[in-house]
Amino acid sequence: MISFRKPVSVKGTLLALLLPAGILLMALAWLVHGLLLDRMSRQFVETRLEDEVAFLEHQIRDSNGQLDVLQTGDYFQEVFHHSFAIHSESRTIISPETWAPLLMPLLESGQEGTLRVSDAQIAEAPTDILAYRKSFRVNDQPIVVIVSEDLGALSQSQTELHAWTAVVSLLLILLLVGALWLGINLSMRPVVSLKAALKRLQDGEISRIDVKSPEEFQPLVLQLNQLLDSLDQRLERSRDALANLSHSVKTPIAAVRQILEDTDRPLANDLRQQMAGRLDDIDRQLEAEMRRSRFAGPQVGKSAYPLKQARDLLWMLGRLYPSKSFEMSTVLTEERRWPIEEHDLNEVLGNLLDNAGKWSTRFVELGLYEDRQEFTITVEDDGPGIPPDALDTLGTRGLRLDEQTPGHGLGLAIVREITERYGGTLNFCSGSIGGLKATVHFPGIAGGTPQ
Amino acid sequence: MRLLLVEDDRLLADGLASQLEKAGFSVDLTFTAKEALMLAEQEDYRAVVLDLGLPDGNGLDVLRKWRMNRASFPVLILTARGDWQDKVNGLKAGADDYLAKPFQTEELIARLNAIVRRSEGRVHSLVKAGNLELDENRQSLKLADGTEHSLTGTEFRLLRCLMSRPGHVFSKEQLMEQLYNLNDNPSENVIEAYIRRLRKLVGTDTISTRRGQGYLFNDLV
Repeated sequence: MISFRKPVSVKGTLLALLLPAGILLMALAWLVHGLLLDRMSRQFVETRLEDEVAFLEHQIRDSNGQLDVLQTGDYFQEVFHHSFAIHSESRTIISPETWAPLLMPLLESGQEGTLRVSDAQIAEAPTDILAYRKSFRVNDQPIVVIVSEDLGALSQSQTELHAWTAVVSLLLILLLVGALWLGINLSMRPVVSLKAALKRLQDGEISRIDVKSPEEFQPLVLQLNQLLDSLDQRLERSRDALANLSHSVKTPIAAVRQILEDTDRPLANDLRQQMAGRLDDIDRQLEAEMRRSRFAGPQVGKSAYPLKQARDLLWMLGRLYPSKSFEMSTVLTEERRWPIEEHDLNEVLGNLLDNAGKWSTRFVELGLYEDRQEFTITVEDDGPGIPPDALDTLGTRGLRLDEQTPGHGLGLAIVREITERYGGTLNFCSGSIGGLKATVHFPGIAGGTPQ
Repeated sequence: MRLLLVEDDRLLADGLASQLEKAGFSVDLTFTAKEALMLAEQEDYRAVVLDLGLPDGNGLDVLRKWRMNRASFPVLILTARGDWQDKVNGLKAGADDYLAKPFQTEELIARLNAIVRRSEGRVHSLVKAGNLELDENRQSLKLADGTEHSLTGTEFRLLRCLMSRPGHVFSKEQLMEQLYNLNDNPSENVIEAYIRRLRKLVGTDTISTRRGQGYLFNDLV
């Protein structure tokens, strides 16, 4: 029994389905062939018998009913290979004579046309015959003519033909099995090579699957390779982050310990400040690397509800800055999802809004838009804005803007890094009411090349 | 000014307590969630500084219990996790402000003063209509099933306007006065978008449309 719920193997399923179907259809064709053969031969025999009767009738009419004049004997038998009986008032001719017990009852019966006698138990005469009877008058003399054929011989040759057909059918089935086997194996070859590639991948012989797969498997291979890419990138990033971290954290720790271990040295104010400065460095590095390591980047199967998250953040900032108004302008519905990981979207929205909240005098507006190509986030405030020449460098890593204006640097740098990871862009410009306007574009599903 | 400091790191707690005393607060110090709950019930504090990671429980649960018992003192939470979602959760649980560790004492004191000032004269004010409750201080909406939803400023003002007179038809022009917008001439579509958003929260039938006239709050639903 074939189970479709759990396909054990494609090959097995195909064979299990195609083989019985092929055999069944072949058997059906054979049966139909037998039936048709039977019917056709019977019809053929009937018309021949009728023709012969007509011929005999013609001969009898030519001889004006004188049966003796007819060259009977073996003549008709040799010409037609059939037995016959001619009956007139004066004479009855039956050839061959052994068929007489079979044909006599037919002569006496009044039925005309095709007659059939079966299961007759008469010695030296066939058991099954097909006969054609016709009666007519010549010179007012009634004459009956019957021509008949032995069906036994016919069905014997018929059976022989049918048997040969069976043999041919069997051969065809074998050929069909061969063709099926070949076809399945050929079409499954890419899967086999895919399987082998996966094995090699597992064994570490190769790092990416590079198999020419049929188009049905292209998305699978592509997805798998992307997954492997992102795993590699993540490993690399986390190693880099840890290396950076240990470099920038261990040294200040060593310095602070050194001071604390030196019991002879008084803890002067200047020293305290230096130690606090080192601890601040550690904190800053830790914070930056930790937030960076939490980025997910574009991921399959991850999405966020932008409206819900935006609403929560706007509400929270509204609580934290009670004198300022945080508004949202959007056409998105509550159920709309964006293919951005939830935490990443929170970082983008949170940092942009928090930054705008810090600088605004009383109003911040968040815009969420989308079209076929991209998802767009805009955050605009009514604050003092920043000089045009500084717009391009805002949120660029390495720029120590955060040293001058607390909070301005790290948050925007994080936004920029996340957007870039999604293949998007972050731009700043002067807003319509004089403040800063930040615009983030995330590419839609089709476009963009995630980094 | 009496202040409760809930912090389980003794070194940090002691240092912080003495700094806060210097700044003029009279500080009660506790290291556990259990004691914090008890103290807040017995004493009358002007402000609370609450650490989230406590040995015998989560600080957020303590905060929720206080708010459930209608404790109105302002709370500033200290957290080592600076995640946006954590901040949202903290404020949703009833905090007034948060501060990520490590922090500078001056900043803590400045924020404390700010939330104390903000909480002065604050009364527990609710707008009720139908089976909805609008909390004016927290700018949040409580539905019949007890779930609380945060609202943005305009959403809150629009809903408060509609709920203030259930059954009264407000025209789009009237509702537009509740709108703060960058655009000088907000179109009527903006109001429609807001109404759509609000209907998602309170149910489609709760805000009815009067064609050509405006909208009304239906408290009979």
